[in-house]
Amino acid sequence: MTLDAASRLTEILLALALIQQSLEHMTRFRAEQVLFSVRIGLCVLVILGFGSPWPLVGLAGLSLVILERFQGPYNGGSDRMGLLALWCLTLSQLMPIPVGKELFLAYLGAQLMLSYFISGWVKILNPAWRSGRALAEVFRFSAYPVSEALRGWANRPRVLLVMSWAVMGFELAFPLTLLSPISLLAGLAVAATFHLANACLFGLNRFFWTWFAVYPAIIWLQGRIF
Amino acid sequence: MPRPLTLLLPALIPSWNFFDVIAPSPRVQYGLTATAETEPKAWLEFRPRPERVSLLQMAQRLLWNPERNESLFLTSCAERLVQQPTRHSEDEIYKRIAADLAADPDTAEGPPWLWFRLVFISRDGDGLSQEVLFEALPRRRSDIAIR
Repeated sequence: MTLDAASRLTEILLALALIQQSLEHMTRFRAEQVLFSVRIGLCVLVILGFGSPWPLVGLAGLSLVILERFQGPYNGGSDRMGLLALWCLTLSQLMPIPVGKELFLAYLGAQLMLSYFISGWVKILNPAWRSGRALAEVFRFSAYPVSEALRGWANRPRVLLVMSWAVMGFELAFPLTLLSPISLLAGLAVAATFHLANACLFGLNRFFWTWFAVYPAIIWLQGRIF
Repeated sequence: MPRPLTLLLPALIPSWNFFDVIAPSPRVQYGLTATAETEPKAWLEFRPRPERVSLLQMAQRLLWNPERNESLFLTSCAERLVQQPTRHSEDEIYKRIAADLAADPDTAEGPPWLWFRLVFISRDGDGLSQEVLFEALPRRRSDIAIR
């Protein structure tokens, strides 16, 4: 995948993810409707490729207003990845020389890899994750399970132990998938399934679309390095 | 550094330590009273989880999940309120409770004073314990902007 193709595909997928998020704000408060209507408009311009790179610059500027409005990301980690992707794409496009453009897209791809690896690393250092107890606590009392029925999973220690090690194993092994295009695609398929499970069980739908949007950047990075 | 840039920085240099520690988890509870002087007799959980969510609903929520995402935002506000209390977090919680109450015909016309508190649930041996870590001063519902 070329730099231009990866950059363009990432910005289209990100714009679609941001439209999905913005639509969710349209049924609530008037001030939010105004803010997110503007964002939808800019995303449409990005998808159409109209006036590039200025709609991206507008989205980056608007992201600061939205951060101020909610005093931080509206939805934690998923919004942080969206912001990272948006700013990397914007800065990449504003760079006057190819190496500068490559640098920002490579940073985005590398951060995607680190998002899995570091998550796995901090978990495996924690005895509660290694014993399966941490995941049991996620199901038993955290704010994440989407239904009360799911809390019953806390009483399946063996299943949760296997799930804990599967998650940690996948996250820690993810950097190895960069060794070949085929292994990366397989790794990304597993990763997307992982996000899909998180969306279904914990209602974290924004993670699925935002992480998916960044996949072209890491596919390009893999081809660029190896 | 301007505040929006301070808020942006953790996104540009992320830590990615998702779920490294399972911290006590907040629940928002609210109550209604006739006056601001008497505490609510009953506290109700704001947006309790449904008993079950079907596979079809889970699939739909991939594309349309505003209530759940708003609840996750309120969880962030609740965590901020006990770590670094701000008027903003309190306003956001009050605004969303008041808006839901106004939208429900059963609660649209009710006692005028709204209260909320934050109950944190954590593991306590083999069981769970609950602790009230924050209680907001009551507000008159008509004073809360819900548009």
